[in-house]
Amino acid sequence: MSRAKDRVGTWIGWGFFADLANGLALTFGYMFSRPVTMQYPDQEKWLPYPRYRGHHFLKRDEEGEIKCVACELCARICPCDCIEVVPYEDENGKRHPAKFEIDTARCLFCGLCEDACPADAIALGQQYEFSSFSSRDLVIGRDDLLAKPGKAATGGGVVAARLDTKKDVRVETKETQGYNWWRNIRRT
Amino acid sequence: MELAVALGLIVFKVAFLIAILLLLPLPLTWVERKVAGHMQQRMGPMRVGWHGLLQPVADGIKLLTKEDHIPAEADRFLFKLAPILALAPPFVVFVAVPFGESISVLGTEITLYVSNMNVALLFVFAVIGIEVYGVIFGGWAANSKYAVLGSLRTCAQMISYEIPMGFAVIGVVMLAQSMSLLDIVRAQADVWNVVYQPVGFFVFFVAGLAEAQRIPFDLAEAEGDLGAGFHTEYSGIRFAFFMVSEYAIVLLVSVLVVILFFGGWNGVLVPLPPLLWFVLKVAFFVYLFIWFRFTFPRYRYDQLMAIGWKVLLPLSMANIIITGVLLGAVGAP
Repeated sequence: MSRAKDRVGTWIGWGFFADLANGLALTFGYMFSRPVTMQYPDQEKWLPYPRYRGHHFLKRDEEGEIKCVACELCARICPCDCIEVVPYEDENGKRHPAKFEIDTARCLFCGLCEDACPADAIALGQQYEFSSFSSRDLVIGRDDLLAKPGKAATGGGVVAARLDTKKDVRVETKETQGYNWWRNIRRT
Repeated sequence: MELAVALGLIVFKVAFLIAILLLLPLPLTWVERKVAGHMQQRMGPMRVGWHGLLQPVADGIKLLTKEDHIPAEADRFLFKLAPILALAPPFVVFVAVPFGESISVLGTEITLYVSNMNVALLFVFAVIGIEVYGVIFGGWAANSKYAVLGSLRTCAQMISYEIPMGFAVIGVVMLAQSMSLLDIVRAQADVWNVVYQPVGFFVFFVAGLAEAQRIPFDLAEAEGDLGAGFHTEYSGIRFAFFMVSEYAIVLLVSVLVVILFFGGWNGVLVPLPPLLWFVLKVAFFVYLFIWFRFTFPRYRYDQLMAIGWKVLLPLSMANIIITGVLLGAVGAP
C-alpha cells in the first residue's frame, strides 16, 4: 500500500517537475559554494609535501666542501642519461666533480640518483617550476646545483603566492605551510 | 517642426535599441561564463580586468582580428548572407516590443517603444520565422556535413516549436482581446497572465527554449556529435554575428515571456520604477536560461520531436479550448 502511495507521490512530483526543481536547486547551491580551483599562479600555489621529488640540489659537508665524490653512480643509474659528471683529484687526493651537469629537460624526476648516491650528496627538493624559453637554460651546472635550497621541512598545502616574471618565471611565496586544500574541497 | 522632432525621436530610439542589442551580449557572455564556472565550482574568467570583466572585450577584439575564412567549396554569396539573415530578425522584432509606457524628459513625453502595432504579436512571430533562413543558408553554404546536419536539425526544430509557441499565446490574446503587446501588458495591471495561463506559460517557455536553441534543446549545435552545428565553418566576425543573434533571441524570448505572462512592467508589492521592474524580470529569465544550460542534459533528437509534437502541441490546443470555454461560461476575469 505504502509503495503504491510512494509511486503516486512520485508521479505527482513529476507532474510538478519536482525532479527538474531538484536539479536546479543542486546547481544553485553549487553556484554559491566555494570554488575548488587554485588561483595559480596569480594568487596561490600548491606547495608539495617534503617527500616530493622536484628540483635537484647538491649538498656540502660541515667544512663547506662539496659532498660529491664524483663516483658517477648517479650518471650510471640515471634511466634517461641526463647527468654528466667529470671528476678531478684535489691536492689532498680526494675526488670531486669538476663538472656536474643535469639536463632537467630530459630528467624524469625518478629520484634514483638520490637513492644511488653513496655520499648522500645529491637529492631532490620541493621546487617544480622549470618553465623556460630555451631548453639550454634547463641544463643546470654544479655551482647552481650547490646554490639551490635543500629539502623542505613543511609542505602539503596551498599558500599565497605571486607571479614574478621580471627576471624569471617563478611563483614566489614566503609562506611555508598553507591551508589543506584537500579538506577544503570536501563537501558533506 | 513637430514631424522633425518625431522623426528624430524614432531614429534616436532605433539607434539606441541597436546599440543596446549589440552591446548586451558582451556582459551576457561574461555572466554566462561566470555562472557556468561557479556552478562547476570554478571561478570562470579571472585574468582580464577585475574578475574577468573585460574578458568579453578581449574576446571581441580577438574575433574582429581573426582571419575571416571562407571554405574553398562554399557558396560564397550565401555564406556571406547567412550571418546577416540570422542577425537581422531578432533586431527587427524589438521594434514591436514595448519596454514601458512613457517617461517625461524635459517636459516631453517619450514613449518607451518604437511603435505600438495592433498586430505586434503576429509581427513578432512572422519575423522570428525568418531567422531560420540564416541558419539554413549558413549550414548549406558552408558545404560541410556537420553544418548541413546542424542546419537540418535546427530548421526542423524551429519549425516544429513555432507551432506550439504560436498556439500558446492565443490564450493570452483571448484574455487581452488584443494583439498589441502594449494592450496585453495593460490588461495584466491587476493579475498577471501566468495565473490564468500557467499551461500557456509552460508551453511558451519550453518552446522558447527550443527556439533559442539552448540546452536542453541545443541539438543544432550539439558539440559532441556535430562540431558546432550550422556555424561550424564560420570564423571571426561572421561567427560573432551568429553569437550576437543567439543572445538576442535569448533576450527576446525572455522579454516576450515577461510581457505576455509576467505583467511586463507592472510591479507587485514593492513600488519600483516600471522600467526597473521590467529589467529585473527579464534579467531573471535570462538567468533562468543560463541556469538551465548548466543543469540539464541534452534531449535526444526523437525525444525533442516527441516533446514538440506529442506534448506541447496537444497541451497548447487544450489550453486554447479550455480558455475559450471558460471565457464563454464565466466571462472575462
